[in-house]
Amino acid sequence: MNRYFREISVTMALGVVLLVLAVFAPAFYSPQPLLSLVTREAPTLVVACGMVLVIICRQIDISVGSVFSVCSICAGLLAARGWPLAGSVPAAMAVGALLGACNGFFVAGLQLPSIVVTLATMVILREGLNLLQQGAFVNLPDRVQWFGLSQAAGQGVLVAFALALLVALGLGMRRIAAGRWVYAVGTDAEAARLAGIRPRLLTFFVFVLMGTLAGLAAAMNIVQSPQVQPAVGTGLELKVIAAVVVGGVAISGGRGNVWGAFAGLLLLACVSPALTHLHVEAYWEKAIQGAIILLAVVADGVRQQKTAGGHP
Amino acid sequence: MKLHALRFLSTLALLAVILAPARAADSKLVITMMPKAKGNAYFISCKAGADRAAKELGVELLFDGPTDSNAAKQNEIVENWITLGVDVITVATENKEGLSTALRKAQKQGIKVLTYDADALPDARSFFVNQATPEGIAHGMIDEAARLMDGEGEFAIITATLTAGNQREWLKHMESYLPAKYPKMKLVAVRPSDDLKDKAQSEATALMSANPNLKLLMAICTPGTPGAAEAVKQAGKAGKVKVIGLGLPNENKRYVHEGVTDSVMLWNTEDLGYLTVYAAAALAKDELKPGATKFPAGKLGTFEIKGDNILLGKPYIFNRTNIDRFDF
Amino acid sequence: MSAAGPQPGWKGVLFRYETLLLAVVLVEWLFFYHYGTTTNRRGVVVGFGTVDRQFDILRHSCEIGLLALALTPVILTAGIDLSVGSLLGLCAIVFGKLWHDAGLSIPSAAALTLVAGAVAGGLNAGLITRLGLPPLIVTLGTYSLFRGLAEAMTHGAVTYTDFPAGFLFLGQERGLGVPTQAWLFLLAAVAVWLLVHRTTFGRSFRAIGFSPEGARYAGLPVARRTALVYVLAGLIAALAALIYTARLGQAKADAGTGYELFAITAVVLGGTSIFGGRGSVTGTLLGVAAIAVLKSGLACLPVVMRMNAAQEMSGILTGALLLLALTGSILPKILSPFRGRPQAG
Repeated sequence: MNRYFREISVTMALGVVLLVLAVFAPAFYSPQPLLSLVTREAPTLVVACGMVLVIICRQIDISVGSVFSVCSICAGLLAARGWPLAGSVPAAMAVGALLGACNGFFVAGLQLPSIVVTLATMVILREGLNLLQQGAFVNLPDRVQWFGLSQAAGQGVLVAFALALLVALGLGMRRIAAGRWVYAVGTDAEAARLAGIRPRLLTFFVFVLMGTLAGLAAAMNIVQSPQVQPAVGTGLELKVIAAVVVGGVAISGGRGNVWGAFAGLLLLACVSPALTHLHVEAYWEKAIQGAIILLAVVADGVRQQKTAGGHP
Repeated sequence: MKLHALRFLSTLALLAVILAPARAADSKLVITMMPKAKGNAYFISCKAGADRAAKELGVELLFDGPTDSNAAKQNEIVENWITLGVDVITVATENKEGLSTALRKAQKQGIKVLTYDADALPDARSFFVNQATPEGIAHGMIDEAARLMDGEGEFAIITATLTAGNQREWLKHMESYLPAKYPKMKLVAVRPSDDLKDKAQSEATALMSANPNLKLLMAICTPGTPGAAEAVKQAGKAGKVKVIGLGLPNENKRYVHEGVTDSVMLWNTEDLGYLTVYAAAALAKDELKPGATKFPAGKLGTFEIKGDNILLGKPYIFNRTNIDRFDF
Repeated sequence: MSAAGPQPGWKGVLFRYETLLLAVVLVEWLFFYHYGTTTNRRGVVVGFGTVDRQFDILRHSCEIGLLALALTPVILTAGIDLSVGSLLGLCAIVFGKLWHDAGLSIPSAAALTLVAGAVAGGLNAGLITRLGLPPLIVTLGTYSLFRGLAEAMTHGAVTYTDFPAGFLFLGQERGLGVPTQAWLFLLAAVAVWLLVHRTTFGRSFRAIGFSPEGARYAGLPVARRTALVYVLAGLIAALAALIYTARLGQAKADAGTGYELFAITAVVLGGTSIFGGRGSVTGTLLGVAAIAVLKSGLACLPVVMRMNAAQEMSGILTGALLLLALTGSILPKILSPFRGRPQAG
């Protein structure tokens, strides 16, 4: 069980927070707000799943926020033009895939460091979107919200879908060969290559997948309200990376899984509503989130030191 | 290799001498306008009015601003304009004191300075085109809330970021006005939305859940109002939890007609932009001088000047009866 | 082969790269000089080609330049520090609080702020060296933590202003004909340059970045040296905070937001490898110059002004420039198979 220490400890931390809320602010557990909270986080979970793969592969993608914004606006504009959802959702995913492929080209093809490549693409996409959209909201036709279903049904669909994706990826990464290859490449790319895996091709596809999932998440997000704001993806990359890291995925690659990321995401997403319910002032939010990230990482480091028995 | 570099550099130096700039002087007045942040629909509509005025007056309008609310960037842009030798600088300040430094510098260089929407320190500008005083806005919002809450009960405020200048000012006035005028009304929380509609929605959902007796949500930033309205709608509490806030008509029409949002307060932002450009042009041509009490602004008519504030008028309340008349 | 420095072959490449970057800066400068300078209706020469504009470029890039300087040794050791921007904000608030609430004199408040910056850098250093945690994650955490502390200390609302003119002189006036903070920046640049290029510390940074294990076996005190770069980064961030506060005349919790990405861009543009072991301070300075000139120059071009797109264009072009620079730097590697050289298995 030592192997899943991180995932377990994050889940326990989440449990503690939920317990505290149950005792001091039971109002948190009213069904509708809770469902709203979870539905709001469903797109983030999808993006986090993609990020897990990227980070296990020993890369990073800080452009997801901008990709998310671009895909949201694309989907929104298409829907506003009269495209049915069956068209605008795949379109959003295609745009995401394309942008992911751009990242993948630079990182896997030209072998440039992913943090710098995605930093550049993040800025280019963000400013490009600003230039074109000028911050104007996109109004969506009524049939888009909740896929045209009732609110409860729509929320159910989104949450169920996100969870299904989580399970699929979680199982896939262990059971399917391609999933195991990601771990292999993240642990030691050269050894993986010698074992017959093609690290660069795999890395490319991981980035394409990341982009596609960002596009999918964007589509999942726009069906939740009748307007799209171009700034919608602001801060998403930090949120997702923090969730993934807190959830036990090692930045050095080769370690971690989507379950931990799920727990990490829930933990960090609870901070804001928890503060509201406990009537704590809003200005503590960032400090608390930073502290959680550090605690998670420190705990990891301390444990590593103990098991390694010396300087790692 | 070093020799190549040397040759290359000397060629460039020669080019520098040859390529001296040669552009004829432009005889148009150059007026600049800076929003608090560019990606904000509020300021986009200000710009629409400003563009109209610029066309009517035959002046050149430069519109630039930080893409996110950032004090330092505003300073840098103002300083850029100083070295561009513009005639008038108009700006909506994100940081009163910080930006005043740069504005004073502009004035020293003979550039006229006007503020609009959010003021700087009085000595840093000639006039402030005020859509409504901060007290006017604060009191107006509280009065409207009181009307909808019958003067008692709990309400919460959703703001932009915790550091936003205008919002801090309004909150200050609200916090002093509230206990004096409506002692039975209680402000339970102020939550930031970072100017993101979706975050405002999440905050509103949590606020309603944490405060079951909440009667009203007040959003004092324009993306917050549709966000809060959507939250109330999704919580099924339309009518039970009232929503009011600052906002643009087009973003809120849907919710006002559905009865989710009761009133949206604003002012005609296009007129604000229009008035600002007219005032700026008049200032540059010395037609507008300190001590004036009235100011004619093209097609909008004459505006009152109180001290050094050019008043657009009172805050305007959009509700079901009138919101369809507006398109911005 | 010297254990401390990069392979001799790399030196040649680096030197060539920096010259190229210098050429880029000069070409940029000339381009904006030609297209961005004009005379206004009052007959005065305005735009990019004025001395005022050049001084403005200098003044506007001091804080980011300092952060880029701070990050250079960090990145040389194959580390990274995402928290420098947030630390700038925190130090600005600490300075404001010490001066305004605690009533200290400006010099004492400034000195204590520098200490605070170093201590904060020490937090990063401790977590990274003592616990062996990845710098990216540690500084991601402190990125939130520092900003959060700044907001918590001020409740997001308090702003410190009304600093005495003597202090504001640092950020707003000219000392000996040049903006005052430029002297401080020059001092810091020289100091960091000396540290990185002329001391054994500097060589050890590169060694650690190139191969931490190798450096350890070579007898270098890896933990101490690594800790040093983060403490130094914190110290420089505090200095940048002081200059920022003097320039704007106010200290607010959101100071420095977004600066770290700008600084990292400048460092990488300057030729320092994000993987560590290779890079130069001159390159960083050139990188800062390239970005600053681009940003300022674009705002002077009539076509950009008419599109009201100065901010966006400078962001897009900076990102594109970064990608170009990165691609360009590995071009030799890609092209070599086509040169018919026998490849080692």
